[in-house]
Amino acid sequence: MKKIVVEGLKYRYPLTQDLALKGISFEIEQGEFVGIIGQNLSGKSTLCQALMGLVPHFYKGGYGGSVLVDGLNVERSEICELAQKVGLVFQNPFTQVSGSKMTVFEELAFGLENLGVARDQMKPRIESAMALLGISRFSQRNPFDLSGGQMQRMAIASVIAMEPEIIVLDEPTSQLDPQGSEEVFQAIQQLSKNGMTVIMVEHKIEKIARYSDRVMLLHQGAIVDFDTPERIFSRDDLADYGIEAPVFARVCRGLGIRNPASGLYPMTLDDAYDQVVNWHE
Amino acid sequence: MKALSLYQDKGTFIHRVDSRSKLLYILAAILIPAVLHGFTVGLVLMALSLFLLVVAKVIRKVIPLVGFSFLILISVVVIQGLFYPGNRHVWFALGGLRFYQEGLVFSAGICVRVLNILCAVSILVLTTRPSDLIESLVRLGLSPHLGYVLSSVLQIIPQMTSTMETITDAQRSRGMETEGSLLVRIKAFLPLIGPVVMNSLVNTRERSLALEVRAFSSRAKKTFLNPPPGGMVNQVLPIVLLLAMVAAVVWRVLQ
Repeated sequence: MKKIVVEGLKYRYPLTQDLALKGISFEIEQGEFVGIIGQNLSGKSTLCQALMGLVPHFYKGGYGGSVLVDGLNVERSEICELAQKVGLVFQNPFTQVSGSKMTVFEELAFGLENLGVARDQMKPRIESAMALLGISRFSQRNPFDLSGGQMQRMAIASVIAMEPEIIVLDEPTSQLDPQGSEEVFQAIQQLSKNGMTVIMVEHKIEKIARYSDRVMLLHQGAIVDFDTPERIFSRDDLADYGIEAPVFARVCRGLGIRNPASGLYPMTLDDAYDQVVNWHE
Repeated sequence: MKALSLYQDKGTFIHRVDSRSKLLYILAAILIPAVLHGFTVGLVLMALSLFLLVVAKVIRKVIPLVGFSFLILISVVVIQGLFYPGNRHVWFALGGLRFYQEGLVFSAGICVRVLNILCAVSILVLTTRPSDLIESLVRLGLSPHLGYVLSSVLQIIPQMTSTMETITDAQRSRGMETEGSLLVRIKAFLPLIGPVVMNSLVNTRERSLALEVRAFSSRAKKTFLNPPPGGMVNQVLPIVLLLAMVAAVVWRVLQ
């Protein structure tokens, strides 16, 4: 089932001359894990916000084309309507704390209270979101007393508690250490396996290559390529778009080791290990 | 964490009383002594408030509040004692200044009322979590948007203060003079306040985006995580307080 259909999306922020998105079209299936990569100012965040309706409803500005999210036309729907279908997690965890709640548990309830979720449903939803992100032990702490990484997990959990069908994450692991970001990626992969559609902007290329079903490469507001991680990161022109392939792919490229079946470079450590062993035999 | 709140988490019985009852208690503490004549009622209510503050284990936090108001109250006593229009009988004289009985009695009445209000408000402020108070106001019909503004200010202003401190430290570590004469401080002010203001503007935009994402502008009927305050006390207390106020008014009218 097509969950997201974008056709010819163009967008210009108010008071600017250049288009931030220059006619983007793509389709995403339900349950897919899509990674978005690209240089700074390539339109990644704008695209994320366009799926949520913040573009154009929050910013205004020039808008063209259409975005259909689960059958809803974003341009003609309100943000609060879309908030029930799409969850968006931003990069900076500090500004995602509502500031009106005294404990982490209540903070997670904030979105549910706004949606009008019944009280007896709130507790299990909040508890499972906290357990998924591994923050259950902070449930009675003040949100502002958490560290950056804990706050970032809380920000993700508070969107997950709202149980959206699509979750869009804009660099959700910027404050996390390597182990923490691995845990978050695994939690999100779990959601994806349960049928949630995941769209994630991330600079940690190795993680994107490992977890994504498909990767979208953006450059200056346009899609360069939208394909499997193996095909994207085996392109020869990645450097032109300011992207480096995962370290395993680069090593194998240097050694000239390809997967004999597909002719593409391996993306993950395990994959690279197998290919190198095969090559030596 | 620092918060703009005087709330003391002692977990006593008083802390568990619904904030609506506490609001009504403040109203009663203002209304009843104003309606009825004489000191006695005011003194009785004040004693009751102080007793409740002791039970709630927050009496020590009241002392600075009362101490601050004493500055004002002493000036009231002095001015009324000297210049109250109804002054007839000199009570005592201090180096040529004559204090009159009528003025002093009148000012004592004012003091009892002010302290009474202060103690009653202290019960609310010291024993109620700000977020609970605002939540109960929202339940009573306050706009959730206004409720959000009130409760977030309490946490976000301390956040801005700590941002200010971080920026001050950062500028100082780059060699800026932030201490010394007035001129030095004024010169240091602009480079400090600039980043703070810009930072807050950016943060405000990001926070309003994040609020939208969490369905803040949703028109669905808002629900609450915490159950509405129940229990016998919370049922009975508001009625008792309302009856007491009505009784005071009726008593006054009949007299």
